[in-house]
Amino acid sequence: MHGNGLLLFPILFPMLMGLVIGKQKQERRRNGLVLLTVCVEFLVVVYLCFGQYALTVWQMTDKLDLAYHTDDMAKFFAVLISGIWILAAVFSFSYMKHEQNPERFFLFYTMTLGALMSLCFSNNMMTLYLSYEYMTVLTFPLVIHTKSVDAVRAGMKYLGYSIFGAGLGLFGFFFLNSYCITTSFIPGGSLNGLAVAGNEMTLLVVYLLMMIGFGCKAGMFPLQAWLPTAHPVAPSPASAVLSGIITKGGVIAILRVTFYLVGADFVRGTWVQTTLLILSILTVFMGSMLAYKERLLKKRLAYSTVSQVSYVLFGIFLLHPIGFLGALLQVVYHAIAKNILFFCAGAMIFRTEKTVVTEYCGLGKKMPITMTAFTIASLSLIGIPPVAGFVSKWYLAECGLLPISGSIGVVGVAILMVSALLTAGYLLPIVLDGFFKKGENFDTVKEADCCMTIPLVVLSVVIVLGGIFPLFLIQYINGISHVLF
Amino acid sequence: MIFTKQMILLSLIFLPMVCGVIQYAAFRKQETARDICNIVITGVIFGMALFLIGKNNVWTYQSICGNGISFVIGGFRTILVLLTAGIWFVTTIFSKSYFAKANHKARYSLFLLLTEGATMGIFLANDFFTLFIFFEMMSFTSFVLVIQEQTEKAIQAAKTYLAVAVIGGLVTLMGLFLLYQKAGTLQMDLLQIFMAGQQKTTEYYIIGGLVFFGFAAKAGIVPLHIWLPSAYTEAPAPATTILSCILTKTGVVGAMAITANLFLHDRIWGYVMLCLGVVTMLWGGILAVFSINLKRTLACSSMSQIGFLMVGVGMQGLLGTHNALAATGTILHFLNHSFLKLVLFTVAGMIYLQTKELDLNRIKGYGRNNLFLKAVFLMALLGIGGIPLGNGYISKTLLHESIVEYIHLLQKTGQSAFWIQCVEWAFLFAGGFTLAYMTKLFVAVFVEKGTHIKKDTTTIGEKILLSICTLILPILGIFPHATQDRLAEMSVSFVSAHMPDHAVHYFAWVNVKGALISVVIGALVYGVLIRKCLMKKNENGETVYLDCFPVWLDLEKKVYRPLLLQVLPFIGALFARMCANLTDGIVALLRMLIFNVDNGKFIPKEDKYFSAYTDGEVDKTVYREGFARSLLMIGIGLAVAMLYILL
Repeated sequence: MHGNGLLLFPILFPMLMGLVIGKQKQERRRNGLVLLTVCVEFLVVVYLCFGQYALTVWQMTDKLDLAYHTDDMAKFFAVLISGIWILAAVFSFSYMKHEQNPERFFLFYTMTLGALMSLCFSNNMMTLYLSYEYMTVLTFPLVIHTKSVDAVRAGMKYLGYSIFGAGLGLFGFFFLNSYCITTSFIPGGSLNGLAVAGNEMTLLVVYLLMMIGFGCKAGMFPLQAWLPTAHPVAPSPASAVLSGIITKGGVIAILRVTFYLVGADFVRGTWVQTTLLILSILTVFMGSMLAYKERLLKKRLAYSTVSQVSYVLFGIFLLHPIGFLGALLQVVYHAIAKNILFFCAGAMIFRTEKTVVTEYCGLGKKMPITMTAFTIASLSLIGIPPVAGFVSKWYLAECGLLPISGSIGVVGVAILMVSALLTAGYLLPIVLDGFFKKGENFDTVKEADCCMTIPLVVLSVVIVLGGIFPLFLIQYINGISHVLF
Repeated sequence: MIFTKQMILLSLIFLPMVCGVIQYAAFRKQETARDICNIVITGVIFGMALFLIGKNNVWTYQSICGNGISFVIGGFRTILVLLTAGIWFVTTIFSKSYFAKANHKARYSLFLLLTEGATMGIFLANDFFTLFIFFEMMSFTSFVLVIQEQTEKAIQAAKTYLAVAVIGGLVTLMGLFLLYQKAGTLQMDLLQIFMAGQQKTTEYYIIGGLVFFGFAAKAGIVPLHIWLPSAYTEAPAPATTILSCILTKTGVVGAMAITANLFLHDRIWGYVMLCLGVVTMLWGGILAVFSINLKRTLACSSMSQIGFLMVGVGMQGLLGTHNALAATGTILHFLNHSFLKLVLFTVAGMIYLQTKELDLNRIKGYGRNNLFLKAVFLMALLGIGGIPLGNGYISKTLLHESIVEYIHLLQKTGQSAFWIQCVEWAFLFAGGFTLAYMTKLFVAVFVEKGTHIKKDTTTIGEKILLSICTLILPILGIFPHATQDRLAEMSVSFVSAHMPDHAVHYFAWVNVKGALISVVIGALVYGVLIRKCLMKKNENGETVYLDCFPVWLDLEKKVYRPLLLQVLPFIGALFARMCANLTDGIVALLRMLIFNVDNGKFIPKEDKYFSAYTDGEVDKTVYREGFARSLLMIGIGLAVAMLYILL
């Protein structure tokens, strides 16, 4: 347990540091501590990636225990999350200046990172469920940060939906407990053939309910309604991580249940797979369509998240290595792009106090870096080469059109194209107005300060280079899927 | 040696992009330095392109953008690269004076160079994946060139351009997905082999049609031409030159690549291309005849000429293995049109620079005393009108001959050649329209008397450069065997064709006859339609050009915009809203059922329990009371439990 104890560090360290940070009144010291925490966290996570660790923290009963490990999937998400957490923190330093109670924000912001790491590294269903609930509870204060009536109401909706969703997951967990040999995560699943025989239907229904439940966090229809309500009311850096990262918490749970508990083979070709594909396709279309019709910038971006995260789910539910590759690439690229977009939205709202998408005419001249980053992220979300989003969509479509995916796959790819068109329709006008239309008088508006622009520039560079040279990522993901299929 | 060739090829694509960014960063404020820098960059690229003449190589770079990109050089591609580099060089020089007093010059230079790199990528692409990547890049970078002036009209035109490009790009992408799925490759020569072994079913025509869609949109083929006239008119003249000479042609190159590789010698595909070509050729001609704006006329002329090219592409499919005439005709008209439009749009730019007007009624008589421009314009008129000894005559003759050849072929086998004869007449009519609208422009600008004749500020250097560009035209026209035949010979392999078995006698009576028929039609159209119907004398006795094109024929405003911006989004949004509110609706319903008191009033209890999240003073430490504290306690509890277990 000596070496393996290090695995607890990324989980407990932010939790403890969060408490310290919540006490700090002085801005400089608080920011310094936050930066220190997230950076140390990132370095430790990267260090953990170079080894294999496993740790059982608490043996409750013979089947229930609290256990962590670092498999490839865990490393993948942990690095992504802790990396983006740093940039979002840097962005918050500047943004939170005009919000009240920054210490409370940073308290929960830092603690959430611990919950997320716990979610990434969890090695069995119980740990996953606990971390999942922690994540929900710890992000709740981020949503209701402004304490306005709208925010509290949105927060309640968030909490209600999330807990209902997690409840479905827990319900499924009870069933799986008796059908699986172990609830630890084993690549390929650990269904007990003998126990399952004859009960396939029950298990499929249970699996479907679990997916719908965990799909709540990922914004999948029918439990997506909280997302466009809750994300926009949070402060922008919180919206960014909620949309970019927390939604991926649902994806992690779905991946773990599908590939590490139930196993892809059990679901492949059943009506449940078809249902889930239909749900995800429907969400893709619905999110894009509503984003296209939405006039508030942050709400539009939230609807966009609904749509884009369901691209990931579509890829996962195709249950094929190529779709898996597309899905995980989409996880990375969407996380980056959506963070850029919310950062930009934050910077724009911070500087101009305007929230409606048509009010940013001529802003490009005043905030060139912000608007350029917005443009690059938009191109990625639409899937214009050579920006990264194109690569993930290429693989998703390639898999959707495989004969094995059937007609539903073809419909899915067609909807992806329609959604891409809608994405262009709801993001490009903002860019065009910003750069080319003469409008509002923004004489006093300045470019966002360096705390805001540095994360934007870093992420923009990453997303462009990530699109041109995706080889490393592709190889890594293929390494994960190699053992799953 | 391979290393250096590879370096040259890559620098053709990436040097303009990199240099563009550098010059933007370095010379944002220093205009002279930037202008010189740009001319040097494009000049160097032109020089490097010259090095690639006669080279044949393929380079593949695995895993770039996922699928890996691949470039090839040789034959038609070399010519296209040279043409691109040359035209960019020339337009960059002309841009200097055109933009002397304009805004956003730095942005223009940046995107001009970015577009050059992307265009090079399109022409050098060895597979459809690479082609598509650079095609999309080009669409987006060239959009900035179109919107350059930032007037209301320019913004509108550019938005249409972008919308068509995005929709076209996505449809093409869908086609490429399907194609890749079927064939397992997107490399052009492998696709040709693959398709040769397939039974052509409807499926492949749909796939091919999808891939073709985006290229057709870029090429301005009816009914996807809606962006073309206004984008050409509103873009600054150097950008229009590039749009017309190169960027629109990328669509044609795509169409040629599809026809030659996916549907080689396929009759059904050929018929479709032919129909599209005929419609575009005629419609563009009609639009141009009606237009009273100098650049708009030239824009519609481009559209019409692209129709000619598509007729050639269609004939390649129909004629099967005997398509040498059609293939050479298409390629030569492609090149001739680029040379011609370089001259014509440059002249238009010069006129605009002096008068700030493009309306024929305003610029009437501008060039009456400007012999230089008059001569240049006349040369181009002869070329594009297909008059013998002009360069366009050669390629139009070849295209015409290919149609005649197909008629003979059908008659020999006893089939009805009626429709193809109709195509022949449409071809001759379109040729007549070309002459008519060019004569209209020439008469209006260079013959009629006008009011304002200003001093010409064109520098001597620009005149020399324009003269050189113009001199190419008659040289190509007078010595076709030495020039055009050579170009065709280098290029035909691109469309998987070969040269005609024996040299064509361009100036034989049969061939001149076709041109003469077009001249007669052109004279009739000009004399009867334009002079009698489209012009009238106003009260001062001056002739005025009338804009009597029916407004209701505007496809964009009457069909596309309402359909795409109102009808479809409405249906989609209705459906999406219904889905989105489903769960919330159920929740509301449940709440009503649960909290329903006897008197029917329901009490939403949601806030009562949780709003204990206190609104305390700001200076209080956060976790002293309220919801935050409860949450924190849970966290601490977990941490303590964990520590206990660990220790």
